[in-house]
Amino acid sequence: MITYLVRHYIFTLTVLKDAQKHKKTATGGNATYQPTVSILIPARNEEKVIGRLLQRMTELTYPKDKLQIIVVDDASTDNTGIIAEQYSNTQNYIKIIQRSRKEGGRGKGSALNAGFKQATGEIILCFDADYYPQRDIVEKLSKEFVDPRVGVVQGRITVLNESQNTVTRLVTLERIGGYRVDQQARDSLGLITQFGGTVGGIRRSLLERLGGWDESILAEDTDLTFRAYLAGYKVCYVKEAECYEEAVESWQDYWKQRYRWAKGHMQCAFKHSKRVLKSNSLGFREKLDGLLLLNVYFMPVLVLCSWIIGALLLFLKSPQWLSMVWTIMPIFLYSFVGNFAPFFEVGIGAYLDGRTRAQWLLPLLIFTFLYNIPICTKALLDLAISKIFGRNCNHWTKTPHSGNGNTYINS
Amino acid sequence: MREGELRISHLIVGFSAGAIVSYILLSSPHTSSSLSPPMLILFNFLFVALTFPLNGKLTRKLCILLIGNVIGLVWNYLFSLFAAAGANFFGNFFDALYIILNPFLNLIWIVSFWSMGLTALSDTKNRKGMG
Repeated sequence: MITYLVRHYIFTLTVLKDAQKHKKTATGGNATYQPTVSILIPARNEEKVIGRLLQRMTELTYPKDKLQIIVVDDASTDNTGIIAEQYSNTQNYIKIIQRSRKEGGRGKGSALNAGFKQATGEIILCFDADYYPQRDIVEKLSKEFVDPRVGVVQGRITVLNESQNTVTRLVTLERIGGYRVDQQARDSLGLITQFGGTVGGIRRSLLERLGGWDESILAEDTDLTFRAYLAGYKVCYVKEAECYEEAVESWQDYWKQRYRWAKGHMQCAFKHSKRVLKSNSLGFREKLDGLLLLNVYFMPVLVLCSWIIGALLLFLKSPQWLSMVWTIMPIFLYSFVGNFAPFFEVGIGAYLDGRTRAQWLLPLLIFTFLYNIPICTKALLDLAISKIFGRNCNHWTKTPHSGNGNTYINS
Repeated sequence: MREGELRISHLIVGFSAGAIVSYILLSSPHTSSSLSPPMLILFNFLFVALTFPLNGKLTRKLCILLIGNVIGLVWNYLFSLFAAAGANFFGNFFDALYIILNPFLNLIWIVSFWSMGLTALSDTKNRKGMG
């Protein structure tokens, strides 16, 4: 656990150093490098947001003769397909793949694989249907591929509907910590930069070599990250390539989304931990960071166990040293747990972004942290039960999008 | 001091100031027996490590650190009075409960104070609102 604390402090200092020196984290790339690009947009019942994204796709500044946009309508029961078809009828570079009920609903990895079969570009970019990218995002992302070692790129995600309610504000803070500090520091330090499955892309040749997305993993993005690193490639974080997302708006949706992430991440931990340790393509620091990243969703479960044991020992009148340890434990735990936005990472991220008022919500992050404890515990228990009884644990629960983000774009 | 560097000298001064405050807290008969020294030492460590490398005047940072220690002492003193009263009414169970909850209660002011300290040090030219 102390390793997590030290790691995050190093991340924070690295980003501060980068920011104060105005150092660019991206490798620089080559703006004149313009490969052919296929953009995959998996969409399942996204009628409230798909039009917004496709409209934005028509406004991209990337040369249209080098662009292919593939909307994978994953057996939607609403008007997603009809809206996408309206765009594909007027724009010849927009293509739509209609998946039947039998084919669809198997998760994002499955939909992306269906799109990949039709993709012709050298670079495959992915965007979720609720996203709203910058006009020049394709240039910013694809220029990094001029470096042959770069297999995957990842842009920055910021929240579109931040001011909607407390949940969206807290998700915004998590995103600031995750992208402004975590991802940027990993990229600067040459550690394991994570592909987030959206606002990013992969080199076609690498994806073919890997055999596409693994449909048996719920966190297909994390899985792809590690498969790329194990294949000898690296993931490049391009913080200038910003894209807005519609954050979950309620605690129920937050639970569903994070439960899926936690379970998927744990699947990746079981799949890749050993491979990372044995890998010849990764150095010691990358291996260490990779293991910390893979196992981060186990930490809230450990926290729960340690609190229960600690509380029991305190009630049993344990020695004085234990009460001292207990006293300082929560704040350290609050700082250890990687993806759950340690408060200082978020705070420094907000500071660097000039988000003065957003910083005041930092104390409330304890609620999302505490909320993640039952989420991760349930994910682990469900995964264990499904392993023991051989049940299929890959039921994909889609995050609903209300389209409320449209208000912020139009205003 | 150039603008583009982490304030390492501030960090050294900050840690020295934090060490002095910690020594006073541990050696003082008024505070050494209570639960406040570990939390205040933790606050000093966190605040110095996370705030002193940032841009801003050293005197301002030291003032904020001092205010934080005063707030922490008052906070812990008030809660210890509350705990003593509770233990008197409800017995040892309340005492144990207080020991368990105390770190969370301290967390509230430590994180809040740190975030406000960060705001005080933010470059006013670059400030943005929530939305």
